[in-house]
Amino acid sequence: MKKSDIKSDIKSTKKKKGAGTAAAYLWSAPSLLLICLIVVFPIFYTGYISLTNMNVYHWFTYDLIGLDNYKEALLVFDSGFLSALFLTVVWTAVNMLLQLVAAYLLASLLNTKGLKLRNCYRTLLIFPWAMPGYVSILLWKTGMFNSQFGLLNQWMEKMGFSPVKWLADDMSAFICCTIVNLWLALPFMITIIDGALQSVDRSYYESALLDGADWMQRTWYITIPAIRPIIAPSVVITIFTTFKQFDVIYLLTQQAGAKTGAHIHTILTYAYENAFITNNYGYSSAVSMIIFVILIVFSYGINMKPKEES
Amino acid sequence: MKKLTALLLSIAILTCILCGCGAQGASLTEEEKNTVVIWHDKEEAVSEALSDELKRLVPDVTVQLEYKSNLTEALKMVGNDPKAAPDMYFFAHDKIGVYAEMGILAPITDLIDKETLTASCVDMTLDAAAYKGELYQLPVYFETLLFLYNRLYMPDEKVPGTTEELYAYMEEKTRGGHYGFVEQHSTAYYSAGWIHGFGGCIMDENGNVGLSSPETVRALEYHKKFVGLMPGESEYATVNTLFQEGKAHATIGGPWLVSASRAAGMDLGIAPMPVIDETQIPISPYMGVQGVQVLKFAAENKTEAVKKVLYALMQPEVGISLARVSGCAPAVEACYENDEVASDDVVMAMREMAENTIPMPNRPEMDVMWTVAADMLVNINMSGQDVKESCAAAQKNAEELIKKMQ
Amino acid sequence: MKHRKRKQQVKLAVVNLVLMLVCIVTFVPILYAFSVSINEQNSLLSSDFSFIPKEVTLENYRKVFTEEPVVLWFRNSLFLAVSTVMISLGTGIPAAYIFSRRRFPGRNAILQMLILLYAFPSLLSMTALYKLLSPMGLINTKTGLIIVYTGTMAVFALWNMKGYFDTIPIEIEEAAMIDGASPLQIVRRIVLPLAKPTVAVTAMMVLIYVWNEYIFAINFMTGENTYTLAAGLYSLQANETSGSWPVFSAASLLVSLPILVIFFAMQKNMASGLTSGGVKG
Repeated sequence: MKKSDIKSDIKSTKKKKGAGTAAAYLWSAPSLLLICLIVVFPIFYTGYISLTNMNVYHWFTYDLIGLDNYKEALLVFDSGFLSALFLTVVWTAVNMLLQLVAAYLLASLLNTKGLKLRNCYRTLLIFPWAMPGYVSILLWKTGMFNSQFGLLNQWMEKMGFSPVKWLADDMSAFICCTIVNLWLALPFMITIIDGALQSVDRSYYESALLDGADWMQRTWYITIPAIRPIIAPSVVITIFTTFKQFDVIYLLTQQAGAKTGAHIHTILTYAYENAFITNNYGYSSAVSMIIFVILIVFSYGINMKPKEES
Repeated sequence: MKKLTALLLSIAILTCILCGCGAQGASLTEEEKNTVVIWHDKEEAVSEALSDELKRLVPDVTVQLEYKSNLTEALKMVGNDPKAAPDMYFFAHDKIGVYAEMGILAPITDLIDKETLTASCVDMTLDAAAYKGELYQLPVYFETLLFLYNRLYMPDEKVPGTTEELYAYMEEKTRGGHYGFVEQHSTAYYSAGWIHGFGGCIMDENGNVGLSSPETVRALEYHKKFVGLMPGESEYATVNTLFQEGKAHATIGGPWLVSASRAAGMDLGIAPMPVIDETQIPISPYMGVQGVQVLKFAAENKTEAVKKVLYALMQPEVGISLARVSGCAPAVEACYENDEVASDDVVMAMREMAENTIPMPNRPEMDVMWTVAADMLVNINMSGQDVKESCAAAQKNAEELIKKMQ
Repeated sequence: MKHRKRKQQVKLAVVNLVLMLVCIVTFVPILYAFSVSINEQNSLLSSDFSFIPKEVTLENYRKVFTEEPVVLWFRNSLFLAVSTVMISLGTGIPAAYIFSRRRFPGRNAILQMLILLYAFPSLLSMTALYKLLSPMGLINTKTGLIIVYTGTMAVFALWNMKGYFDTIPIEIEEAAMIDGASPLQIVRRIVLPLAKPTVAVTAMMVLIYVWNEYIFAINFMTGENTYTLAAGLYSLQANETSGSWPVFSAASLLVSLPILVIFFAMQKNMASGLTSGGVKG
């Protein structure tokens, strides 16, 4: 809390404080109302539907049936679900680590003193972001990874290797998905870290240089602590999105009619194949709610909250 | 915290209000009653032909053909909300069960009498349109997979008559980046032909799962040796490109592949499906019937306009003009008296195939089956798992998922 | 001294080299799409693919413009994007400012909860939003889409701008307050000019989201004339029975161009933009 806030808080009477609170809510009301409508409402609605028997046979005439769907849903959380959960955690960890390191390195390079083409590089590097996700994934799948025609295999053949089924084997499919996800997510991360880096006070570096600190030390002791609070909200949001990643894995390896033989399931693709395809909306909602809770518990477990100002 | 609770409460109240005022009676103006919106997801040539014919045949009704991506999902969402839902949709018959159970479809016989239908349509298209004893679709055309070959590599006299001949041909010709025969081996739609040829099924008309039946297991065990001589990718882009570039001598594909390949200059032949040696039944693929389904709201409130459109769609001209642009087989018998239709080898091949094909099941359970069956096929064909075990596991999984639909 | 300069130059050369390499690697799939789009044949896949097609043609680009109502889609996208950005900033700036400057009951709880909302798997949200918009007659309207887009981006806008406001020293505002400026005046005259970078970045993020969003657009809008670019592109997507890959590739590249142009043009405004920076306290 800033000094000035404390001062004014002490000074203000209770009445004034109440008025201040009302004003605060008034100012933020439009934004909060929108969030309530578009983000919070679907959660409540899903929660409500999860207590009903809404499905193909009771699409309009559904009744409240209590917690039955949850009883059913807990059965989905079998060994298959547990391994999917484990894979999701690994997937999130690997992706976030690679993303942060790669984005940090690239952003640092972009911030090199005297780099004339900085704006050009930055614009080129955000290209993957300027395309709808499904287009990019499609390009990777058919253009790069296709075992008959893909560029990778054409290059392999030119170099005298035999073609590889990139997406058929679990391990290589996981790596391919990670590459594509990295490609898709890096522009956002680079932009975030690039912005944060520019806010770090140059004078810190100068004194550190005088003390003889090398690049690693400067990164570790100055840059990272300085940018951490700034990038935290974006990183937390990205962690959640990575955890919930569906498109990349589903479209690359499991799309109906184009399955590749790899069995990498994250909790969402697993829930999709084992719940959502049943058209049982009540049941699927219960599964969604449980995943929601798991994710929140997880984020508390690893103490993942964006910290406020340093 | 109090504020928070208040906030949450107000959201909850808002929800109730919003949901509460959802259903309200609507009275339509004359103009609205005379406008029929049809959703479809067909290529432009088909929708244009359809739209032109309807304009000519029912000039007094405004028919709007609207392309809708994600049609099936969107329809589940809008239900029969008169503000957002279409009056009819043009789609394959296999989703009838889902929407009929949801209660958004009107039986087509409410609008057209059954005798007229049975008199004018090819019988099997009406079988496809029936769900729980009611007809829900006016069939317009049907399509099925065909055995296609490239005459440049596979002369007419070399076309295999049986699956063993096909296998021998594949063994001989599959080398050096060339394939004797390719198909989308690990998708349920394409494998179904082999399964049916052994007397098995993915799901029978009563909704029983047939994945682990001895016939299905036998079919997939047999099919596996063919898959060994096909590429490791099973999706359409790879398979069709191989065929169109002349890297695969023969394939099983839909009528769309015929027109695309011929347009690219291929001397393409169409042959009857090879007969499976063991059962003496030809490979018998699924058949899809494309047609219009009427939503309940439109059937009740726009009866006259909808009837006019439906009767117009039963005119032979519609089928003939669609056959011309899409190469599909018209559902109306009278179309086949037209010379152009009768001399079209693709259309006639499908007309003849109709005896051996099996309409895709239209039960709601099929939504689950497509995924489970594809999973099973991938396990068998691409991950090399044991056929019997995979089938048994898929059967169990399918039955569990179907139970969860309720 | 000379030695140091030389060292600096070598360092810059290496940095340039690395960045160029990264750009090239990034661009492989995009170049692939590009060469498909200028290729004569109707194929995404080909066994004799090469980056330089044998017969170069701009026919596919011509087709995008002549055969599809792409200009109309562009107008729709632009309208949605501009409106969404405006509303996002209009609602986001006051909220972010308040959450940055005031301490009031419920503030911390709301801030924490907002982030947790991202934990919800929103695969099923579509139907809920439909149920919300339909009774208000907002299905198949641009207003409905704008509300959905603004709401979806509101959490990010709030958190992102709040973070930046936190770094702007409060002293200037206090001085203005003593001079009798109203809060609205303070935001307009003092905070906004200082916060230009974060506003620019937030606007860019919202813009990119709206530009690329297609799921709501195809489900809530019907009819070719109502499509946005991303939704139109989705409907052009070739499938087994129809469509043309080269036209689709050409359209994909065309759709991304405006974003790149805007991003490039806005770089100056975005300098030290994301969430923090320029002002040293």
